[in-house]
Amino acid sequence: METLLTLNPLKPQPHLFKYPNSRTYTPISNNNNCRGLCTSVSCKLSSQPSKDTTKNKVVVPGAAPSLSEDNEPPAVVESRSKNSTGVVVKRLSKRVLSFLANLPLALGEMFTIAGLMALGTAIDQGENPEYYFQKYPEDNPILGFFTWRWILTLGFDHMFSSPVFLGTLVLLAASLMACTYTTQIPMVKVARRWSFLHSANTIRKLEFSDSLPKASIQDLGVILSGSGYEVFLKGPSLYAFKGLAGRFAPIGVHIALLLIMGGGTYSAIGSFKGSVTVPQGLNFVMGDVLGPNGFLSTPTEAFNTEVHVNRFYMDYYDSGEVSQFHTDLSLFDIDGKEVMRKTISVNDPLRYEGVTIYQTDWSISALQILKDDEGPYNLAVAPLTVNGDKKLYGSFLPVGNADSTNVKGISMLLRDLQSVVLYDEEGKFAGVRRPNSKLPIEINGTKIEIVDAIGSSGLDMKTDPGVPIVYAGFGALMLTTCISYLSHTQIWALQDGTTVVVGGKTNRAKIEFPDEMNRVLDRVPEINEPSDVICG
Amino acid sequence: MIFSTLEHILTHISFSIVSIVITLHFITLLGNETIKPYDSSEKGMIATFLCLTGLLMTRWIYSGHFPLSDLYESLIFLSWSFSLIHIVPYFKIRKNDLTTITASSTIFTQGFATSGLLNEIHKPTILVPALQSEWLIMHVSMMILSYAALLCGSLLSVALLVITFRKIFYSSKSNNLLNESFSFGEIQYKNERNKIFQKTSFFSDKNYYKAQFIQQLDYWSYRVISLGFIFLTIGILSGAVWANEAWGSYWSWDPKETWAFITWIVFAIYLHTRTKKNLQGANSAIVATLGFLIIWICYFGVNLLGIGLHSYGSFTLTYS
Repeated sequence: METLLTLNPLKPQPHLFKYPNSRTYTPISNNNNCRGLCTSVSCKLSSQPSKDTTKNKVVVPGAAPSLSEDNEPPAVVESRSKNSTGVVVKRLSKRVLSFLANLPLALGEMFTIAGLMALGTAIDQGENPEYYFQKYPEDNPILGFFTWRWILTLGFDHMFSSPVFLGTLVLLAASLMACTYTTQIPMVKVARRWSFLHSANTIRKLEFSDSLPKASIQDLGVILSGSGYEVFLKGPSLYAFKGLAGRFAPIGVHIALLLIMGGGTYSAIGSFKGSVTVPQGLNFVMGDVLGPNGFLSTPTEAFNTEVHVNRFYMDYYDSGEVSQFHTDLSLFDIDGKEVMRKTISVNDPLRYEGVTIYQTDWSISALQILKDDEGPYNLAVAPLTVNGDKKLYGSFLPVGNADSTNVKGISMLLRDLQSVVLYDEEGKFAGVRRPNSKLPIEINGTKIEIVDAIGSSGLDMKTDPGVPIVYAGFGALMLTTCISYLSHTQIWALQDGTTVVVGGKTNRAKIEFPDEMNRVLDRVPEINEPSDVICG
Repeated sequence: MIFSTLEHILTHISFSIVSIVITLHFITLLGNETIKPYDSSEKGMIATFLCLTGLLMTRWIYSGHFPLSDLYESLIFLSWSFSLIHIVPYFKIRKNDLTTITASSTIFTQGFATSGLLNEIHKPTILVPALQSEWLIMHVSMMILSYAALLCGSLLSVALLVITFRKIFYSSKSNNLLNESFSFGEIQYKNERNKIFQKTSFFSDKNYYKAQFIQQLDYWSYRVISLGFIFLTIGILSGAVWANEAWGSYWSWDPKETWAFITWIVFAIYLHTRTKKNLQGANSAIVATLGFLIIWICYFGVNLLGIGLHSYGSFTLTYS
């Protein structure tokens, strides 16, 4: 007895926890080796008889495996001390794995994530603490308990990077990996195994079954393979299946999700981004604008490139609204040589050595005018705050004594680069002029001619090493989700005299299956003469 | 000019046809089911589908861009998707239970879009620079198709819940009252079966068909929701890729994006509850009902806020 049990003490097998009573362990899995538990059993049998058998009976599923190891007399443990910690780790990891792969836990995690995201949209993100003091005051809490303390301690003001949210995401990723390893892969192995069914009664008990009175199983096989099934025929038995990919695809979905999460994490800790508004004609160096995002961000050689805004211009619809805005950019490397030139617009960025420049916004920086035929003077233009998306820019030309406290002058308003609206010293509307029209306007004795409106381009820059990984994950997710719509259909048939008994089952398309089967079976020819059966 | 009149005509035709179809369905509910009204209602739905397709085509040609740039156009597209979902199973399986739900959804969306509740004119408008991209077609059409499919599937689950739990509410009443409170579907089912079965006891008859019907609803809802889930995945991911091409960030926790992701998660929960036998049936139907509410929050609720990257779809109600 002891020799049997002490064969291979180092292979842990948690299944055996379910059978504490049987001393002669019939192997439950393929390898005939003894399990880790047997070590303790054998030791205890040798040293202390009856009492410890009861103890072992108590050490049943719920108890931690390490306890039984710790209770061993030290003398015996020493010789196997290193191996037992390895065994403990393996057992612990198996328990952790089965805990994580629990479906209700995963569903709970998904619910939590959804709830946190919903909260994140309800609570305004990224404001300073005083805003939350005001909006969620302590003397008037929402739902009776929700005050700003909850928000700031739990990090809900930056929900999508808060520890609570990220922690739940990490837990979900761990659950995904555990589920794929413990549940999905074994299920696929089971699905791929199949066997012929040799009894007509078993076939008749399937989800869908039918019998064709005068038919040959070979005809059925031919028709099934014409309908896209893979058919196996052996003697009087037939097995056909279709759509096995639908069983593999969920694994692909989980892997794709893990890819996306990994790529997203890499992006979050290793990318650079920045934005800048550059007036036409000026330039900047990439490295000045790009700021790091996380601890893995390392600048590359491309950061020394100088970007020059050659020209910024906009296209308009006939109604006057902005249709598209463009920037003509030139890139110069550190030696001053032009390496790239491209005109970018919204939805059409510039890519250079891993750095991407996007056109996201525009602004007006200066107004060039001639005053009394002198100039041209550059007037600075400032944005004016209005409601909504419409932009409005204004400039001011002082008339008379510019140093007096009550300065009067000509105001100019622009909505875009097309036209300028001018107002006189009292604020009354004076006229509209287009830049470059060479048409002057006379306001209170001053002659103004608008030469040009100089715009500035709003550019966003980014370098993101995680993007290829994330894109790969996206593609994989789209593909595998589509494939997992397929239904795994299995059909068995048996030639019983002149009758063919057919049965089948499918895992997803349960509604369409009977109709599809009926259509296939309708096409099996009926054999009326005995000579046909002999040849088939 | 000709385009706008054509558009008007098509809108009105589709609206009226769908109303007639719904009326026909109600007539079959009240009386015995005869073949003629059913066939003509099917033809009516096909005519509606063609009208809505024509409407969208006209707008496309007239405005020069794919007809999906603001809320009105997306609502028309939604009603088109409903009629598409109605028609596709029709070619595979002649008769199904989906018809009433899709037909009524089509008319309600169409009616809402053309009504005066939305404070905007229905003329085609120009596209702002950010929307001038080929991605517009793929991303928005996938999202609207997915909304349509998921809404259908969730409505089927709601019907399942109603039928399952109705017997609890009405169990105290007598048999006669139960007869009168049959739903349209049960009558359909009853009329389908042979007259032979009517010889057996009335009560067990009804329970068996009810159980069968519930199972059918369950399977239909599962299939339609999985299809909608595929479209939703493709829609969200193509939106992310577009955002990366346009603004350099594939996910910026915009309210609409976040709610679309929440919708995705809720339907993923639904699909996972169906993997375990004991959670099937009523439990998954409850999740699908939750999903129904969340889709409306995602589609309309976020637009009411009017902020963020997706502000093109925002609107204000006339009386607010």
